[in-house]
Amino acid sequence: MANQYRLENIFWALGTVAFIAITSYLIGLVAKFLVKLRGFSETEQRKAFWGALFAGPWISGFFIFVAGPTLVSLYYSFTDYKLGKPIEWIGLENYRVLLKGEGTYGGRFKGAMFNSFYYAAIGVPLQLVTSLGMAMLLNREVKGIRLFRTIFYLPVILAGGPAVLLAWRYMFATNGGFVNVSLQRFADSFFLFDYIYRSVVYVVESLNGFYIGMAVRDDPIGPLKYTFPAILGLLLIGPLAFGEWEESKRNRALRIIEILGAVLVGVLFSKGLAANPINPVWTYAFGLGGVGIMLLNARAEKWSVIRTVQIIALLLIVLSLVMTLEAADFNPTKGDAPKYLIALIVAALPLIVPFFGKWTAFTTKLMLATTGIFGVIIFVLLIPGQLDGGRLELIFRYLTFQSAIEQPNNMDYLEEVFPFETISTMWFYGSIIAVAAIAALLHERYPRQRKVFLYAAFIFFALIALNSFLDTRRYFQDFSDIAEANGKPNYHFARFHEFADEYPENRRVPFWLTNDIWSKPSLVLITMWSSGAGMLIFLAALKGVPRSLYEAAEVDGASGVQKFFKITLPMISPALFYNIVIGVIASLQTFEMVFIIRTTETESSLMSAAFFLYQRTFQQLEIGQGSAASWILVVIIVGLTAMQFRFSKWVHYEA
Amino acid sequence: MKRKSYLFLTLAVILVLSAVAIPASAKETAAPDQPAVAAQDAETLEIYITGLTEDTQTWFRETVFPAFEADHPGVKLEILTGGWGTFDTDVAGWITTGDGPEIVYLGSEYAATYGDLLADMDAYLSDWEDLANFLPAALETATYDGHLRGLPLLMSPRPIFYRSDLMASPDAALPTTFEESLAFVQENTVVGDAGVEKQGFMDIGGGLFDAQEFIGYIWSAGGELYNEDGTSAFDSEATAEALQFMYDRRRAVLPTEDTPGLPPIEGTPLASGVVVSGIFPMWNVPPTSDPIWENVAIGPYPAGANGEQLIQVFIDWLSVPEYVENKELAGEFLKFIGSKEYAIQLNTVAGFTPVRTDAWDDIRANDPVWDQLLGLAEEYGRGFSDIRASAELRPLIVEQVTLFLTDQQSLEDTQAALKEAYDSILEANGYLD
Repeated sequence: MANQYRLENIFWALGTVAFIAITSYLIGLVAKFLVKLRGFSETEQRKAFWGALFAGPWISGFFIFVAGPTLVSLYYSFTDYKLGKPIEWIGLENYRVLLKGEGTYGGRFKGAMFNSFYYAAIGVPLQLVTSLGMAMLLNREVKGIRLFRTIFYLPVILAGGPAVLLAWRYMFATNGGFVNVSLQRFADSFFLFDYIYRSVVYVVESLNGFYIGMAVRDDPIGPLKYTFPAILGLLLIGPLAFGEWEESKRNRALRIIEILGAVLVGVLFSKGLAANPINPVWTYAFGLGGVGIMLLNARAEKWSVIRTVQIIALLLIVLSLVMTLEAADFNPTKGDAPKYLIALIVAALPLIVPFFGKWTAFTTKLMLATTGIFGVIIFVLLIPGQLDGGRLELIFRYLTFQSAIEQPNNMDYLEEVFPFETISTMWFYGSIIAVAAIAALLHERYPRQRKVFLYAAFIFFALIALNSFLDTRRYFQDFSDIAEANGKPNYHFARFHEFADEYPENRRVPFWLTNDIWSKPSLVLITMWSSGAGMLIFLAALKGVPRSLYEAAEVDGASGVQKFFKITLPMISPALFYNIVIGVIASLQTFEMVFIIRTTETESSLMSAAFFLYQRTFQQLEIGQGSAASWILVVIIVGLTAMQFRFSKWVHYEA
Repeated sequence: MKRKSYLFLTLAVILVLSAVAIPASAKETAAPDQPAVAAQDAETLEIYITGLTEDTQTWFRETVFPAFEADHPGVKLEILTGGWGTFDTDVAGWITTGDGPEIVYLGSEYAATYGDLLADMDAYLSDWEDLANFLPAALETATYDGHLRGLPLLMSPRPIFYRSDLMASPDAALPTTFEESLAFVQENTVVGDAGVEKQGFMDIGGGLFDAQEFIGYIWSAGGELYNEDGTSAFDSEATAEALQFMYDRRRAVLPTEDTPGLPPIEGTPLASGVVVSGIFPMWNVPPTSDPIWENVAIGPYPAGANGEQLIQVFIDWLSVPEYVENKELAGEFLKFIGSKEYAIQLNTVAGFTPVRTDAWDDIRANDPVWDQLLGLAEEYGRGFSDIRASAELRPLIVEQVTLFLTDQQSLEDTQAALKEAYDSILEANGYLD
């Protein structure tokens, strides 16, 4: 029997080798043929043949083990496929459920995505600061520096290990754990430390309590949702409005349009994807986004970017056609078909035009006119719906301080006053883009108008921010009063109130891995501990900074801080950029730590997107939805990475 | 030119070899289609059991397999084992793709998970007279849609252990109702300045809530997981009673969510001296020869107002997937390993608790702890079985009940959320019409 198996193994091994050899040979032939088609010489063809032949094993492996499964998972993402059951094509249903946060799994995916963003937004900056700090310490010439480097790097090797993560569980024990005991000892011994420590506890608990209410529990945040875009508007428009207008400000305005526009199109796209059937407005929005980005890049003469944008925008339009056609209630006989088809053709036309011929001044004018037309179409299609129910009245109330003057101070407020809030926040983000676009257009041609317009916009956002915040306070208070009057423990932002209402008492300890408030900060702390990989990159970069630059700065009387910000940071910016890109990708893929350190009580609060898709795919065997979740994660990671590369002008590669 | 000839020559040789290789291996896989005697000649039976120690594997290879192979000439047995970390993915991969071992080890709740992907073994097992010696709860676990899908291998009764020497009232009777249990936990919990110093109750996960335990309390409150029409019964009064009991018990230990729990325990919680009662698997308690057992009382779960006390019995069993071609041979092996003789030997070698009551005699005679435990299992045991869509139910319970226990969701909202979500899960998994 054993001999039979051995023989079978030998035959299979030989068969595999034969397969690799044959496919490699075929790949070589294809390469040779392609080179021949392009008119290259016999020698070049031979070179291509041998080159491709030797790369053949890798190429065939890539198609079999990477490209193949990738395409299959893409197919599965459009199906209802549970292992052991028949595969059923359901179109975009998995994506709709996940993007809309519908039902148990949609809601859980949404929570998991918020957690992953938490790890990226909070974890990555802290990790960067830690690794840079460690690298700067290790960049000094002191005795035993090699030993220190080894010690600092050791957590990278150990961090993912279950034994070490279990050790962290012991160290983070609420009662009697090393971390809490140490903090308590310090707090008991040093008054100032006690104050700082309790303040940190207060801030972390309040912020995480708020985050849980907003992101995980999906509590409505009322008028506060207008405060966020209004503050963003202040932060972005303020620097444009005040001070001397320069070319750099116009560039900044264009960057605002590009970044915020990309985010807005992304959000609209996901909303469009979630709509069933897709609203034709989103099709025009894709067209508008595509034309806008092309115009910006035409100005910078980035023709390859324009071509990429065209292809992506066309793909999105084709996808929206698929989405529309596969929608269950799409019925061409009821007159919907022309509406959708017109939208698709109109949106696609300006994207196709620049494929033919060069981009000229006329093309720019044509594209500008197109953005105007698209803007009008979107406005006409969207605005009538937005005017219903006195939605604009809310804006008027905020601009005229009515919400601050009126103090209903009764339980009817939620029901009678706040329903005006249903205006979409997308309008506020759109307004920021519009302001930036108008400022860029007015530029130096109409300086006075530009100045007045920017001041007016700034005041607009300031009034919205102030009054919506005042409104928010009353909203939260009334919401809580009603919930408490009804005896409901889950009143609005219960966790936030629980921590924000009271400054921590003496000897209050963090609950680290045992509750939903502290579980995410704990995970971030553990990842900070293992920042050695980033540290190595920073250390190598720091070694590459010429001493002469520091010496010259010292001669000019620069301080340590000045040297750090003016020399060190710009010189190590490629390393910083690399660490940001890698850090964001890794944090969005957080899995092992969640798997090991989670407990029954923290499973939901720690769940990352990667853990969600693992659970859905490998534990619950829902291959279809798991695949869709993984593709959403892929798109987000690729999008964020592309955006980071797009806006990486701050990186200096001269070093 | 010469090089190219060499290349072609090499490729030709490889092609010829592979042409020989593929039919040869195809011949191997084609064997089951051949006549029964010929198939028997080359038959290999692969048995997968999770988490086996080296000693147990050796026992299988050197004791069990030679004996079975001697009775079944031409049959070759092989043992496969693996860790719990990859259990779900390994087993799901085999059973759903139809390619894997002939006998697959499964946990208590898996009969409903794989359903008809497991073979109906009634034809090979139901007439076996030894079945009468198996615990009914155990057979129930290995049954799906009224048909046996394999045979139970071992059991793990999960009672509540009480440290009488740590109890505030050492001579008091063990709690039998939710109410008495709450009073017990309250009386035996000590909370100091730094947090909990002595805990009246601890669940199997070292905390104050476990999804399986929650299901146990629904049962002991007189409820069920499903209504007669197959929909979820999470909106029942029994569920409300179980939830309220677990909440009140949590508050008896942690007066508020800001109260730090016990410090980390080294060793087993039962021997820690700071845990008065709790639910623990037998692998997480001191050996039954330890003197500590003189001060340990064992009891079933407390009951709700309309329910009865019970002990959850977790059964691990050997299933035969539907893809297995020679089910008769698989059935033969199940009867062989399920015999009284090997059930006793498995207890000695691997510490498996037999599911055959006739294999208990020696264990009960030699070990008073096991004697008590098995007696309670016989009297109060309820198999942890017929848990539909279990892989999806557990995270749902964890998510929703945690919100309730930590004051983030009301009882009504929790029940409604559980009911709504579980119904949709049952529907998506084909359990509802």
